[in-house]
Amino acid sequence: MASEDARYRQSTQYRLWSFSPAQLSSMREKTNALAQSNISERLLSTRALPEFLTPAEELQLLNFYTIDLLRAGNFFNLRTDMRATAAVFLRRFYLTNSIMTYPPTDMLKTCLFFGCKAEGHYPSVGKFAEQFPNTTGEDVLAGEFLLCQGLRFAFDVKHPFRALEGAIMELRRYGNIEDSRISSAHSRAREILKFSPLVTDAYFHYTPSQIMLAALSLADQELAERVVHETFHHPALSDGAAAAPTRENRKGAAAAGERARLVGAEMRDRVLEVVNACREVLAKEPPERMTAYWGTPDSNQITRPLLRKLKKCHDPDRWNLVELQRARREQAALKEDAEDDEGNGARGSLDGDGAVFGDADGRDVKRRKVAKAPEDPFGGPL
Amino acid sequence: MSASPLVAYPTDTLKVNSRPTASPLKRPISAAPSSDGTPRPPVQAQPTRPHATMDLAEQMNDDEKRKWVKGKKLGEGTYANVFAAHLRTDPSQKAAIKKIKVQKEYRDGMAPDALREIKHLQELNHPNVVRLISVFSSKDQNLNLVLEYLPLGDLEDLIRNVNTYRYGAADIKAWMGMLCRGVWFCHENFVLHRDIKPNNILIAANGEAKLADFGLARSFSDPAIPMTTNVITRWYRPPELLFGARHYSGAVDVWSVGLVFAELIIRSPFLPGDSEINQIDCICRAIGTPTEENWPGVTKLPGYAVAGETVPVYGKDAYMGRFGAVGADGVDLLMKTLVLDPRKRITAREMLEHKWWRSEPKPTRNEDLPRKTKGGLEKMAADLKRVNPMEEDNRGAKVARKLDFGAMKK
Repeated sequence: MASEDARYRQSTQYRLWSFSPAQLSSMREKTNALAQSNISERLLSTRALPEFLTPAEELQLLNFYTIDLLRAGNFFNLRTDMRATAAVFLRRFYLTNSIMTYPPTDMLKTCLFFGCKAEGHYPSVGKFAEQFPNTTGEDVLAGEFLLCQGLRFAFDVKHPFRALEGAIMELRRYGNIEDSRISSAHSRAREILKFSPLVTDAYFHYTPSQIMLAALSLADQELAERVVHETFHHPALSDGAAAAPTRENRKGAAAAGERARLVGAEMRDRVLEVVNACREVLAKEPPERMTAYWGTPDSNQITRPLLRKLKKCHDPDRWNLVELQRARREQAALKEDAEDDEGNGARGSLDGDGAVFGDADGRDVKRRKVAKAPEDPFGGPL
Repeated sequence: MSASPLVAYPTDTLKVNSRPTASPLKRPISAAPSSDGTPRPPVQAQPTRPHATMDLAEQMNDDEKRKWVKGKKLGEGTYANVFAAHLRTDPSQKAAIKKIKVQKEYRDGMAPDALREIKHLQELNHPNVVRLISVFSSKDQNLNLVLEYLPLGDLEDLIRNVNTYRYGAADIKAWMGMLCRGVWFCHENFVLHRDIKPNNILIAANGEAKLADFGLARSFSDPAIPMTTNVITRWYRPPELLFGARHYSGAVDVWSVGLVFAELIIRSPFLPGDSEINQIDCICRAIGTPTEENWPGVTKLPGYAVAGETVPVYGKDAYMGRFGAVGADGVDLLMKTLVLDPRKRITAREMLEHKWWRSEPKPTRNEDLPRKTKGGLEKMAADLKRVNPMEEDNRGAKVARKLDFGAMKK
């Protein structure tokens, strides 16, 4: 296999965050069902159960909030990679957490903040929060740990932006395409990449280079196909494969055969097929749709009822992230020492006091003292 | 019940639900029978806790967490505590769990060190880069990094303890080979390590050297985006960083590799400056003064300042006298890593293609390299069982120092 492919498969983006459409929708259903049963249990004693959001409605709201996040990112002049990373974080988080459990309006701020950090920019949380109305640093940080856990601690997101720069250089190298045509395809594709893959499930299903080629193909289909055809065009290949398979070069011939398969027409057509499928996904959300999600009568008609529904069915205990975080911290403060001590082999002797009074270290010292005296004053065991 | 940290798992801090709900994702984990027939402590014999009312995210985290059994505390630092650990299903699979503490002085959420280390180690999988096996959060909201278990100390131990360890050119070649491969792999994946030094190169049970501590690492920057200059421990910091260059490359790591190489040969730091100014001075005196002739544009760097007489860049003869132990080819490689102008410095890839690796003597095989304890894993297990608190404390102090990023940076 091409080594670049193999290397991509080592990435967390592939290992942890790439799914087939069927896997993705089954995860979303599972997340939704779990949230429904959790919230039902919490509400049961107090009031009648509300109507819950369906997985499809959750997805619709997620798109709405993803665009909210991108708008905020634009407004704050965040770098493209930070905005994109934040958007991917939001979508990953709400794959295994329900919108009904944790508030998306808060989580999107957390995603933006953590997206900056993940891309190597460390703003002060206070200054960051000031940019939002009625937001404190605490509000932004309350969801950070939750987000990290939801991301399964995969903070590296591979974007197609640099891939596009590479493809544009390739196109220029061919030498027989008008420069203005390349330039306009470049800027259109870039515009698409900043929006379309982020508000669809493209990142879950396609590699960055596939997404890049799909965006380029939306901008100028001929140019995108040219890149693919040039990549798979190897006139010298047939000579090498034609050599007689003697004992010595059999291994070489096998390698050449494998290479021929990889760069052959069949693989090329498969690549084109995948790029086209991705193109269709992106085409559903062209950059012009950015404004279609808010303020228009159409969008209001769709989102308003969902937001009303969400207001009634959200998790009563976990909706307030600041409160939740405070409670968890308090509990953690009580448990921490016990947790640190759990590995020290004192399980049998652990009584309540250690955990409650946090004297795990004290006990540690005691145990060491006991262990330290190999020459027992009363003699060894009989 | 609430006393045992392993029994009551809070599914939610605000409302503990005692009614177990059958989860579609619950994976029963079979408890491995103990080999000697002794009954296991009850907490271990009870591997399945109901997932009760956990989100999918919480369940995934919990599954990851339950794969590991945390053992003895190996070290304590300001940044993290380190525990021995093993796989629940296969106790022979050892690991180290680094539990990162919430840093009180950093008020902006997860500290950059932790974030960088997790971000990059998650993506890098190579025999000469310490492996991050897993990450999970514990219920007290701390991060736990499950790392490869590297029980044989670091390269600094071996260099410093001149009387304990004897090693020769073939051993240096083996260690340098592993270091260069690790650095090459980072650069191949567009990651700058930015803190290469002997005590960040750890030794695995089989003698393999591994690049560790990615608390200062970052991805290669886009051309227009400036980077910080305050990285790499001073003695190993290249001149372009000392002069305040904001746009730099893998060459900064190569310089550090060169200084590790030199240190392996002379068994003491080659350029131990006691301040940034003094560091530049050390470089000028030992390698040569950076000038417009040998490094076009250097005088325009924001922090360019050299004191005293201009020292011409030393030639091969000067190096042979001091570093001749690795032969002419070895000295050639060393000199190429210590070129003042980063654009002319050898790259990680070119280092691996250098002729020194193929010239005599051949590098020592891993199993024959000088090491902290002979006998590898068996001895290590014995070490862990031994109850000598003084020894344990020393070992702990070493690990702790290594983990103390805060102290290292300033």
